[in-house]
Amino acid sequence: MADVLSLLILVPLAGSGATYTLSSLGGGRRWSSYIAAAFALATLFLAGYAFWSVYSATPAVGQYAFTEDHPWIAVPGFGVDILLGLDGLSAPLVFVASILGVLSILSARSLIDKREPAFYALLLLAEASIMGAFASLNLVVFYLFWELTLVPVFFLIGVWGGDRRRYAALKFIIFTFAGSAVMLLGFLALYFGVSANTFDIPSLVAMGVPAGLQYLPLLAVFVGFAVELPVFPFHSWQPDAYEQAPAPVNVLLSGLLPKFAGYALIRIGLSLFPQAASQYAWAFIVVAVVSMFFGAVVALLQSDLKRMFAYTSISHMGFVLFGCFATVVSGNPLGIEGAILLMFTHALATGALFTVSGFVEKQSGTRKIPLLGSMGQWAPLTAGLLAVASSAAMGIPPFASFLAELMVISGGISAYAVAAVTVLVPVITGGYFLWMLKRVVIDPPAGGASTGGSGDISRGDAAVIIAYFVPLILLTAFSFLILSPAAPVAQLAINLAHGGIAP
Amino acid sequence: MTDYILVAVAALVAGALGAPFLQFVGGKKDPGRYAGYVAVAALLAAIAATALNSATKTSTSPAFGALLSSNALGNLFALLTLSVTLFVAVASFTLVRQGSAANSPLYYSLLSFAALGMLLISYAADLLVLFVAWELMSIPTYALAGFLKKEEASNEAAVKYAVLGALSSAIILYAISLTYGLTGTTSITGAASSLGSQLSDPVAGLAILLFIVGFGFKMSLVPFHMWAPDAYEGAPTPIAALFAAGTKKAGFVATIRVVLAISTVYSLTPQGGLFTIPNVLAVLALATMTVGNLAALTQKSMTRLLAYSSIAQAGYILIGFVIYSYGQGNPAFAQQAQVGMTGALFHIINHSVMKGAAFLGAGLVILKLGNGNLDSFDGLARRMPVTAFTLAVSFLALAGVPPLSGFWSKLLLFTSVLNGPYAWLAVAGVLNSALSMGYYGWAVKRMYFDEPGGDSSPVGEPASMVVVFGVLVALIVAFGLLPGPVISFAQNAVPPLGVP
Repeated sequence: MADVLSLLILVPLAGSGATYTLSSLGGGRRWSSYIAAAFALATLFLAGYAFWSVYSATPAVGQYAFTEDHPWIAVPGFGVDILLGLDGLSAPLVFVASILGVLSILSARSLIDKREPAFYALLLLAEASIMGAFASLNLVVFYLFWELTLVPVFFLIGVWGGDRRRYAALKFIIFTFAGSAVMLLGFLALYFGVSANTFDIPSLVAMGVPAGLQYLPLLAVFVGFAVELPVFPFHSWQPDAYEQAPAPVNVLLSGLLPKFAGYALIRIGLSLFPQAASQYAWAFIVVAVVSMFFGAVVALLQSDLKRMFAYTSISHMGFVLFGCFATVVSGNPLGIEGAILLMFTHALATGALFTVSGFVEKQSGTRKIPLLGSMGQWAPLTAGLLAVASSAAMGIPPFASFLAELMVISGGISAYAVAAVTVLVPVITGGYFLWMLKRVVIDPPAGGASTGGSGDISRGDAAVIIAYFVPLILLTAFSFLILSPAAPVAQLAINLAHGGIAP
Repeated sequence: MTDYILVAVAALVAGALGAPFLQFVGGKKDPGRYAGYVAVAALLAAIAATALNSATKTSTSPAFGALLSSNALGNLFALLTLSVTLFVAVASFTLVRQGSAANSPLYYSLLSFAALGMLLISYAADLLVLFVAWELMSIPTYALAGFLKKEEASNEAAVKYAVLGALSSAIILYAISLTYGLTGTTSITGAASSLGSQLSDPVAGLAILLFIVGFGFKMSLVPFHMWAPDAYEGAPTPIAALFAAGTKKAGFVATIRVVLAISTVYSLTPQGGLFTIPNVLAVLALATMTVGNLAALTQKSMTRLLAYSSIAQAGYILIGFVIYSYGQGNPAFAQQAQVGMTGALFHIINHSVMKGAAFLGAGLVILKLGNGNLDSFDGLARRMPVTAFTLAVSFLALAGVPPLSGFWSKLLLFTSVLNGPYAWLAVAGVLNSALSMGYYGWAVKRMYFDEPGGDSSPVGEPASMVVVFGVLVALIVAFGLLPGPVISFAQNAVPPLGVP
């Protein structure tokens, strides 16, 4: 088990090829989901092993486990290495990505009914590159995997999406490509700017980026994060993409792609540009808080389930940004630790929400809240799952989302006492989720137009959704699995921000 | 000592002169067929000879007296342009049907002459050889652009291209005569080094500027690009591929050899100041990529879209020229200059492959579906899956999506200028790449997501084209996954700084 991280990338990649070729050769479409699920399960085991190892032998501050270094380009004067490694930041993300990979494939069995081999192949390709992004410690390789993820997602939205899929897919690729291209500028400036002449993040952190080269690159990099996360006002592509994507793709799109930005914010933004980050932390916190409130308030106004969840996501990703910069200001590790936990719980909660919305649409033919109604009567199981998923997203105990939001807000208060107003965000979130549940589950449909759909969700599909809740509940008791490896990550950011001492 | 360049020249001359005679051998039905085979054989022989030259002669060595110079830079461009011509010739078997069949042997003969011109430009070490080779390349392409002689668009393309091409040749010749007057030599190295020391004379600055303008026509730099969209659209599509992937590159190698070799003082005016070679090139780069991308966004015909995208790509390549030229005068930037020129050469190679694939794919669609409007690309993935896939891969590579080939060369180009006075050029380049996703992504959307407009039945894709597409896609992916060897090859071809 030497090259665990290479395998983490190669197994789903091989799965992608195998799913497409094997199902095209013979057996046909029926088998494609089984083949894909088998590869996704193998990935899950690898990721679980890696996650557990990082917990049981947490790397010290600024160190990584499972490191691999494969020189890719090595010509005189220019080099790019495939440098991989895991720590308390990336291990939970890799793990949650592998969970979502399996669950999205399982839910797709009922939700996708055309060109399955290509669908599962693209889904696994996306998973492989997501793994690569979280595992890479080289700026160019990270960017490469980030970009590579956009291409399969572009096709997944454009071919299998809803009515306005073409528009949404194009908007998605143009926005995210533009954002990440600007981010790339921030990366490239470091090569000749830092005397190390390298793109390896650990070397750049150890060397320290000159103060003069921190401000504009941080801004460039932040534009990339802001589009991907997304934060207000860079979010315009996101409700369209989330609304039009098929539910299994939503799971990756909303559960994992924003985590690229959250991951890179801590790994790159705070570590390479600590001086600029702490000097302008207040500005980023303002952006984060505005985004939190904006997402929550706009979600209140949505009449489409998926659009509502999309804006919820904007609000939650605001928490991640908020927590990170709160730690930079106050030196209190709660913010970053809470942000890492929140990324994990948000991935599962939002995955569950979007999967349920896929089944709601499949059974009733619509996702419009006013047209849905009395779901508690005609589809009690779906309604129950929707209620539980909503509770997870609202951050109600016993779901670990509660703990994560609590940590971020406490961290925020220790930075700026005024930030206490952010406790209102979970309140608003709870309010609109309950209102949505009242309209969808209890009230009769507006105007009595819809009389319900074609029956309830099957038990097997319900089990897939319940699988999202299990880790969320377990984590409340076992939060140390994530929080204890997260401590050195937060410590590194604090060391760099306060005194700029490299580890 | 075997002179491989001589072998390559002989092969192409034989091909060019031999092809027309085969009109009488092949019979009335398909007179061009044997001529095509002869041209392909000649090109293969020339490529083999050039490859041997590249493999056996590791150092710079003069050939034909001092008129040609066999070095790594020349090998790179010779191999590249000959290979492009080979692909164009093979694709022409399928793609050139509309033209008057009786003229076909002539078509391959002209193609071989153009290849000979490009070969000689790659190795030219003397300004007059460069000029003769330039004309040898250009004149056949004027005829080739107008080859569809019954089509008005083709005639218009040929006339426009020939007039502007003749103008650019005249400008180059004027620059050569000024240079000779100033330096008393037509040897490129000699002229470049003494032009550098004679820069107190404003005429020297004028000569350099005229070189940039003259070569700029072929590189289709803005504002010398006016001919390109019309010529690309009117010419038979394989010839458009030749323009974008082949003859354009001759402009680049000429610029590297003549303009960028001026090392000692790089200011165009005696007082120095803003009017320097890198500044002029930087402004041209900015204008070229921005105008190219903005214009491409509004096109309705695929060949015009590709023509403008080709213009934009020339702007990215110039970024490497800017930093190289700047490095000539600033030793502190030597490493960045090296990386930038490596990126430029790598992007030149990549652009040939990507644009070759795109034009040949578009050519097949035009041949099969009858027109090149973007509408006919709707739902293409269902009708012509291999062609659509080739086009999609080449578009994504042109936009710079990793891990395809175009990503790495752009990465080298942008990295090289991000520190220093031309950082704004990298910012412009990245924003332009993002902008270009607007039309590349849109084209992919049309092919893969949209429904075919009218007829949606599958269209046959000839086996020969499938092979050509397969090779080109494989190259795009391979250069992306394993860029190391190609980057090394490009880096070896970078002329050393300070030694013209």
